[in-house]
Amino acid sequence: MQTVYDVLEQLEKEGLPLAVATVVRVRGSVPREVGAKMVIHPYGRHWGTVGGGCGEADVIRAGMDVIHTGRPRLVEIDLTDDVTVENTGVCGGIMEVFVEPWPPQDQDEA
Amino acid sequence: MSRLVAAIRESLARREAVARVVVLRAPDEALVGRQMVVWLSRPPLGSLGLDESAREAVVQRATAALQQRRHQTFHLKTEAGPLEVFVEVLGRPPTLLIVGAGHIAQPLAEMGARCDFRVVVLDDRPQFASRERFPTADEVIVAPFHEALRRFDFDLDTYVVLVTRGHRHDVEALLQIIDKPLAYIGMIGSRRRIRGVFQLLKEQRQLSDEQLARVYAPVGLDIGAETPAEIAVAIMAEIILVRRGGTGRPLSDVFWERSRRVHTWRSSRQRAGSAPSS
Repeated sequence: MQTVYDVLEQLEKEGLPLAVATVVRVRGSVPREVGAKMVIHPYGRHWGTVGGGCGEADVIRAGMDVIHTGRPRLVEIDLTDDVTVENTGVCGGIMEVFVEPWPPQDQDEA
Repeated sequence: MSRLVAAIRESLARREAVARVVVLRAPDEALVGRQMVVWLSRPPLGSLGLDESAREAVVQRATAALQQRRHQTFHLKTEAGPLEVFVEVLGRPPTLLIVGAGHIAQPLAEMGARCDFRVVVLDDRPQFASRERFPTADEVIVAPFHEALRRFDFDLDTYVVLVTRGHRHDVEALLQIIDKPLAYIGMIGSRRRIRGVFQLLKEQRQLSDEQLARVYAPVGLDIGAETPAEIAVAIMAEIILVRRGGTGRPLSDVFWERSRRVHTWRSSRQRAGSAPSS
């Protein structure tokens, strides 16, 4: 089995800054479980999924931002809109996704 | 290269349980994203920039998460203000041990890997237990069943499926593992055959009903599986059911009147003819 840490080890060799998104809290019906991860790649070679759709697009945007600023962010994905014909991508819950720069810096060593 | 990430990778390579702790929210923005690595049997690495008592509280929560093998997000009151912390539990994937490397083992090994299990395949025939036949398995063991099972490192996250070429081997393997601390034992066989085997085990090997009740045999959920790949789906579905909890029934049942659904979920072919309740 290949874990996200194996994938990151490969990507780190390219030397590009990355972002890692992790689902850290869920309420109600959501597409992924706590602990689900996604790697956001600066050229779009993302890996994994935090559920797809608009929510994931928000996470990718946040990831690009994190790659540029180097600062982590907590993103709330709200999927509680009413179901309409135009908008059926609503699972009914809320997901919190932590997006952090990768590789991380060890501040303790400074 | 981050010292913490290097330590996590070392633990993962050794299959050692390890927790990565990350600060999600803090009054001091600079603390957000700070990390710490916690193990069950050695001192943690990193400090999150917290004082000793707060650090100790975090280590305690992380240790509890490791023991429960569940990721956790929690709030913590510290002198510096409220913190929100995420504990990611790593290094202990569940193990799927497939005893017998035949035609059900192949799709089952693939699915196990897909579902993030560490997959181990065992058979005493090298032409069956081979890397070529099981490219996604983490380990392929060629050895006599009793020998390999005696050496195998079982734990409460180990799921064993007995699908050897002959029922004699399944039963021998079953007798060897029936009292081990395991998450799941599944054994293949028809209803009739299993009934006979259980009867024999009770009479000749003095196995109790409690011991036999641990065994999922015939193996798998009743989804009408027929081909090896379908049977592998039924087995994997049962393993997921045992691991995650669930009912094993169609989720859509909730929209249907029970009386109408009783026979429809026995046979998908009849489902098209029934109507949802109003």
